[in-house]
Amino acid sequence: MSTVDISDGRKTVAGAFLSTFVGSGAVVLVGFFFPALVGGVIGGQTWLVLALLFFGSGLGYIAVLPHDSDGTTESTGSALLAVRRGSVRSLLGDVVAAHDPAILGLPIAVFAGYFALQLAFPATTTAAINGLTDGILRGMGPMLLGVSLLSVLYCGALLFGPWGDIKLGGEDATPAYTYPTYFSLVFTAGIAAGIVFWGPAEALFHYQQPPPYFDAPAGSSAAVNAALVYSLFHWGVSAWAAYAAIGIPIAYFVFQRGAPLRVSSILTPFLGVDGLASPWSRLVDTLAVFATIGGIATSLGLISQQFLAGVAFQWDVPPSDIGPVLLVGGLATVFVLSAVSGLHRGIRRISGLTVVLFGLFALLLLTVGPRGFVVDRGTDALGSYAVHVLPMSLFSSGSWVTEWTVWNWAWWFSWAPFAGTFIAALSRGRRIRTVVFTSVVATSAATGAWFLIFGGTALSLQRGGGADALGAITERGGSEAVAGFPLLSSLPLGELLAFLFLSLIVVFMVTSADTSTLVTAILASRREVAPSRGSIVLWGGFQAAVALSVLLAGGGETLQALAVLTGAPFAVLAVLALIGLSLALYREERGRGHASIVRQALDRLPTIQAHHDVDPPDRES
Amino acid sequence: MVDSQGQPDERPFERMFYPVERIPFVEWREFSGAKPTVTLVAAVTVLAFVTGLSNLSQPQLVVDGPLGGIVPGTRIFVRFAGVLFAFPLALVTFGLSRRRRIAWLAALVLVPLLAVFPFLTGRPTEIPLFFLIVVTVPFLIANRGEFDTALALSSLQVASLTSILGVVVYGTIGSYGLREQFIELHNWGDAFYYVIVTIATVGYGDITPRTVEAELFSLSVILLGTGAFTVAVGALVGPAIESRMASAFGTMTASELALLEDHVVVLGYGDVTESFLDQVADGTDLVVVTTDTDAAARLSDAGIEVLTDDPTDESALVDARVDAARGVAVASDDDAANVLAVLATRNVNSDVRIVAVANGDTHVDKLGTVGADEVIDLRSIGGRLLGATVLDPDRDGDAGSPLEGLLGRTDGDFAGVATADPDSETSAAGTDGETSAAGTDGETSAADPDSETSAADPDGETSAADPDSETSAAGDTEP
Repeated sequence: MSTVDISDGRKTVAGAFLSTFVGSGAVVLVGFFFPALVGGVIGGQTWLVLALLFFGSGLGYIAVLPHDSDGTTESTGSALLAVRRGSVRSLLGDVVAAHDPAILGLPIAVFAGYFALQLAFPATTTAAINGLTDGILRGMGPMLLGVSLLSVLYCGALLFGPWGDIKLGGEDATPAYTYPTYFSLVFTAGIAAGIVFWGPAEALFHYQQPPPYFDAPAGSSAAVNAALVYSLFHWGVSAWAAYAAIGIPIAYFVFQRGAPLRVSSILTPFLGVDGLASPWSRLVDTLAVFATIGGIATSLGLISQQFLAGVAFQWDVPPSDIGPVLLVGGLATVFVLSAVSGLHRGIRRISGLTVVLFGLFALLLLTVGPRGFVVDRGTDALGSYAVHVLPMSLFSSGSWVTEWTVWNWAWWFSWAPFAGTFIAALSRGRRIRTVVFTSVVATSAATGAWFLIFGGTALSLQRGGGADALGAITERGGSEAVAGFPLLSSLPLGELLAFLFLSLIVVFMVTSADTSTLVTAILASRREVAPSRGSIVLWGGFQAAVALSVLLAGGGETLQALAVLTGAPFAVLAVLALIGLSLALYREERGRGHASIVRQALDRLPTIQAHHDVDPPDRES
Repeated sequence: MVDSQGQPDERPFERMFYPVERIPFVEWREFSGAKPTVTLVAAVTVLAFVTGLSNLSQPQLVVDGPLGGIVPGTRIFVRFAGVLFAFPLALVTFGLSRRRRIAWLAALVLVPLLAVFPFLTGRPTEIPLFFLIVVTVPFLIANRGEFDTALALSSLQVASLTSILGVVVYGTIGSYGLREQFIELHNWGDAFYYVIVTIATVGYGDITPRTVEAELFSLSVILLGTGAFTVAVGALVGPAIESRMASAFGTMTASELALLEDHVVVLGYGDVTESFLDQVADGTDLVVVTTDTDAAARLSDAGIEVLTDDPTDESALVDARVDAARGVAVASDDDAANVLAVLATRNVNSDVRIVAVANGDTHVDKLGTVGADEVIDLRSIGGRLLGATVLDPDRDGDAGSPLEGLLGRTDGDFAGVATADPDSETSAAGTDGETSAAGTDGETSAADPDSETSAADPDGETSAADPDSETSAAGDTEP
């Protein structure tokens, strides 16, 4: 009887999503194809609601669609059924009992305390935290720059050196995720909607206020190059290496040493697998949960605000108080459903869709945008980047570097515990070389291409007078959210691009939030149990609650700064993790016959035909 | 399904991150096959229609795509193009849903051609259609193997379509040749327009013949063309209506029923009917009489004649021509109905050979008493087969396993066995003989006159007649 109820429940939910999707889609399509017919009837706000309903219900539908393997396993409906059967309190009790009390309680207490302070003494709290942020970023700046460079070098060593040959989970483990799935999961989890907003904005900001490393006058042709190179730098290899610096040690200790899947597993070489229950490791996990919730939930709130600000700017939708709340609620519904439905269902499908939309948008932009400018200046910037990346990594003088580069590295390091854990969890059966290649090289190639295309388009239009995005940014008080809209509307197929732009923001937000929900639930659960659906829902709900509090109580920027600050301790931990990993690799893997990629290439030379290429690092997929 | 389930070392997170053995980017299995392809082509059709309407609703259509100036006639055709494509595509979608090869070929031509339009107008509204086509074409190519049914037009349909084509070619060339003798006819386009308007009996009258020669020519086009047009409509639409009516009322029309002779009537539809039909259908005329409309529809789709009527009703049996039948198989799942069906059959034809299925072993005698010549006890056959297979599992060679031995008798080589050794046939009659009798195979009866005494028809004639009537019947049921 229960199976019938469950599948009925799922069918009802799926049916509701599908009919919303088709209904709103039909109206949107009619508006798109026959603007004259309905343009006067439906206002801008309704369009926005319809478009968001269209995206949201479509994502929800693909999340709840069943998977082939679900015939016997329980499904989404069972949680509802349990609620119906037992009391809500006992269910909540079960969920809470499965958590580590410290890791569950501390972040919640900190967030509650923060919002209480923010409500009681807004000015004092903000001032205190901003002072703290400035002090830490200035004091730790050189350290963050150094760790970032160290991570890049270490990743290079793993990629080309013999240790990259180690297969996580043993030589006979096979990867469960095919390479495209693996890449899209890693890529979409590690990056949120920031990439969409900053795509045009980052280069524009640097163009207006060139980085001191390149001594270029603002708004000059030389500043174009400086802006593109710094966009590549801030979103390229150096940034993604932060994830790998935390993720690869976790993956190694989890799959080669049997450590539990948690951030604190990076301490394995110092504490031993059995010593991982110590207060130190619980402190690390608590900090990771705090950083993840702080990073993602505040992004969720802030990006919803900026999203609506951008929309208001572009289409004259009057700003309302209820709008962001509804948007966050809708997004929360989708990402919680996606997280609950599991990796092989919602998370995989939505991340696949994200990558497809991302590629489609970039291609379309390259086709209709100023191709010549983008290609010329893009290749120049790439060459320039290759020459200057090392000195740029070490360049630490001036407040510009603190405001941009150091802040950026802190931000990436604050996301590293969650993204690193997620990368580690997916990597069973892959060689370390493949993990590095995917999480650093392939992902930064994707972001690099994005920033060159979008940033190049923005700069070309700004210089040629096609669109004044900088004027728009200034008009809105320096908000990066509005930069995209004037650009897109000045291009051919502008409506379509804007529509895709909106959908990209939504899917990137969902793909980061669902994986972060999953990882937080794992980190906060007791180490011997897998998080239940209830636990995932709890953490998803908590993230949504934090995002809503940011909107209602204010102080989002400050809270985000607080979360980004956790990047500093995680940068220290990353160094510790890399030292520990080196020790472990030196002790365990020496003399095991691991060959560097150069050695492998040399070994193959006499035996293979001349026209064969050397195998790519990812040999098993 | 759950990876490494049951292994003691499965760790909590592995159940979350490795729920199934392989997680591909796209579950191609869900998307391969004919159905998603048909759905995509249908979506292309709808989107082409909507896009076309959108173009039509533009007061001033700008043609500023990259190919806009290159392709000739863009300005004239681009307004209607979407809608013009949508209708043939709808037909193609229908054909694809019937797995027609020719529909697949047409789709492969039409769909990529449709992708040209975004490059003509350059309107953003045509971009979604373009992307949909980009997705659809690989599906069409990847699933080409699914669409392999031949069109199978009847000769009448082929003839009428060819003659329409012929008349159009004749009329177009002819009227162009005689253009001096027509009012308002100047070029090939006018000639084609004139012929179509004439054949379709619209006859606007804007182009009219001026001379006797042109009048005679026009008359020939009218007579030939209108005739071919009418016949073609009948030939194309008629079978579809007929088959729809037939599946509602059973496939047999009264005239077809009247032609039945020396056939086998199957009364009732039960568990054994399908496998029985598989065994017998080739080379034997069959009529199934059942009230089960679902089964009737299924059987008539499979090309078997069905009379949707009550098998215990004498009038239905008269319709099914039990009086001229070679044999009657009574095979419903309900023994009471079987008894009534046997009684009814005996009332209609006291001589015909009746083989009945008994679902319960206590009913074997009753069915025999009411007039069945042979009664097959399904359970005892099953039991015996089970026993023989268990006791003698290794027997093979010519005789095969007990299973093959039992079932093989209904095949053609049973004839040889029966002729060679009539005694063993008699002794085996309790078991195997019944099975073969139920088969009522043409060859069986030819080789085994003893068991077929009541069916007095000359066998050679039967087997000669069978293939013809079978083919003609199959031809008629083909929609």
